[in-house]
Amino acid sequence: MTPTPPPSTAVSNDTSRSSGPIERRQRGALRLAALLAAGIGALAWLGRSSDPAAKPLTAGPLTLGAAIAFTGNANLYGQDQRMGLSLAERWAGTSAPQGRAVRLQMEDGASDEPSAIAAFNLLIRQGVIALIGPTLSQQAFAANPIAQRQGVPVVAPSNTARGIPEIGHFISRVSAQSSVIAPLSIEEALRRDPSTKHVAVFYAQDDAYSTAEVAIFQKALAARGLTPVTVQRTQLADNDFQTPITSALQLRPQLVVLSVQAVAGGNLIRQLRELGYRGQIVVGNGLNTPNIYPICQRWCDGILIAQAYSPELNTPINRRFQQLFRQTHGDRPPPQITAQAFAAYQVLFEAIQRLQRKGGLTGVTLGQARADLMQELLSGTYDTPLGPIGFSPEGEVLQDRFYVAEVRMAPGGRDGRFALVRERHLQGSKP
Amino acid sequence: MIDNGLLVQMLLGALLGLSVYLPLAAGQLSLATPAFYAVGGTLAALLSTRWSALGATADGGFPVPSLLLEMALGGLLAGLLALLVGRLVLRLQGIYLAISTIALVEIVRVAILNLPFTGGAVGIFAIPQPFATAAGYLLPALALLALAGWLCQRLELMPLGRAMAAIRNDELAARCMGIDTTRVKLIAFVLSAVLAGSTGALAAHFLNTWNARQGSFDASITTLAFVILGGSRTWLGPVVGGLLLTALPELLRPVGDARLVLFGLVILLGPVLAPQGLITPALLERLGGWGLRSAAGRDAEGAQP
Repeated sequence: MTPTPPPSTAVSNDTSRSSGPIERRQRGALRLAALLAAGIGALAWLGRSSDPAAKPLTAGPLTLGAAIAFTGNANLYGQDQRMGLSLAERWAGTSAPQGRAVRLQMEDGASDEPSAIAAFNLLIRQGVIALIGPTLSQQAFAANPIAQRQGVPVVAPSNTARGIPEIGHFISRVSAQSSVIAPLSIEEALRRDPSTKHVAVFYAQDDAYSTAEVAIFQKALAARGLTPVTVQRTQLADNDFQTPITSALQLRPQLVVLSVQAVAGGNLIRQLRELGYRGQIVVGNGLNTPNIYPICQRWCDGILIAQAYSPELNTPINRRFQQLFRQTHGDRPPPQITAQAFAAYQVLFEAIQRLQRKGGLTGVTLGQARADLMQELLSGTYDTPLGPIGFSPEGEVLQDRFYVAEVRMAPGGRDGRFALVRERHLQGSKP
Repeated sequence: MIDNGLLVQMLLGALLGLSVYLPLAAGQLSLATPAFYAVGGTLAALLSTRWSALGATADGGFPVPSLLLEMALGGLLAGLLALLVGRLVLRLQGIYLAISTIALVEIVRVAILNLPFTGGAVGIFAIPQPFATAAGYLLPALALLALAGWLCQRLELMPLGRAMAAIRNDELAARCMGIDTTRVKLIAFVLSAVLAGSTGALAAHFLNTWNARQGSFDASITTLAFVILGGSRTWLGPVVGGLLLTALPELLRPVGDARLVLFGLVILLGPVLAPQGLITPALLERLGGWGLRSAAGRDAEGAQP
């Protein structure tokens, strides 16, 4: 280490021009800066967008890109999505062996915006025909405009925030908005206990999903003349909820409504029960994963949740999906997020096959094929494990079957399942 | 391969690294950079989406002069905030200063989360774009980096820079020599804030969306890592650290799931193998001495005590 000389020595060095340590260091810094500038210039030139959209579509397999959260705090969902996409790939191999081959390339979109942008850029440059992802709505607002500008179709498997399909023509999703699903579970809770007057609400105030969903829960409550006796705000990273629970329980709530992410939600439920709450609990979409069972264990029992997917839906495609799931992941029902990821792949795969049969994938450029695929995707209807779905012209999913499930834990409290308690057909959103 | 989008992210990383470096050059460990970055970004996001006079078009376009204006305003607002806060927090030193600047980051984050006009947790989205592709952002990012680098390079010869170096070596001695240490530290803190604020304004457009998560405690640690890996004794250290550490997770993609493990290893091994950082003053002196040995070598040796 060479400490910076105090000013007095520096001045005396001025007599020996161009050779004092400061001058040498300055010159060295200039040289290194010039080197860096040259390096950055070279990288910029090498990395300039050689847009693959203008190239003709090759005859080989088409590539679907998926940017999913394998790291960061959304990885709990990303793991479920990875399962769904892998299963869909196997399903596609067996369902249309004569069709156009499709290859899936998965990249880690992590849980932050810059990573999602980098993953989208990478996949687009590699010439994917369409994209699946990213995991979080906040990431979608960052990465989707890039796909939109370059004309690459995007199917979001798990973005539930308002305004996602509105990003542009090329953006669509298979995950129904929380405004559609969330009120159903409240309805069920109030049907079970019509005398409910005191409702407590918990949500993570620094989470996009929670703040959006809790507004819908509150609207659903208000529509039934119920005002929460307390609204407790938590933070995304919280795991200890003793204080908000204690202050909420003093108001003797008969119903607790939670909108938090999976890990926090599991802990919150467990602590609610341990601190003596015996009433009903309604939870939001964030807890729509079996990954909560190990966290809240037997205390999970009886919570109500509205779902866009039910393992108990008895259709050929859902039976096939479950069979594939059980082959690789053991004897347990697949989670909703896995089914939605499967559906995202499925709709793209079926649209590609239809386009192929129409001859729309020969003699065109990649850019043209992407645009045609988007058109084809929006115009079709699909029989998915979620039930029959379609798309509005904006790319919003049209799904009319929703489910309310109750968590039933096995006697040991280690494992459980989402037991279907009610199936709902919503009018006005026919696929 | 590094595409232009990643290159812009690397340049933004280098700028944030420099912003952490400036107070450190005056011996102040400030972790407030993400707070000022968030202020600049939020301001740009608000102005470009709400204020039609800036010229955002319906199809999402945005004039470049307006972007430059936003960067100036972002820097100005962050600088003003630093001026106000700096007077208070710069009374603290070392770890106490670090803690209080972390508190500032948290205050700004919670404020952005709860203000009625910043979009809550979802944030502000559909931020208009001054450039059609990521390559367009290279020019303003490079220009800002060149400007900041030039300033840091000049500082070493200017009385202000020498006063900063003197404070870093021994604050008490510097004060005894008549240096107004409070003023010098405040100037370094404000310069750092201006740089972070302008960077934030640019980043808001580049990211298409802005929310409270951009300026978090995690970002404080990441930007500090830029400086620690790159070296805190010369301005090129944080630049190199920022460029490398931003690029590394993306370059490691071929490794698959283990890429963040490798990334962590690099952060761990960097300071172990190069405790002074990658770019040290000694390295720069060697680099500056090349090719001069024959002409001035004897002269230089004569000047050494």
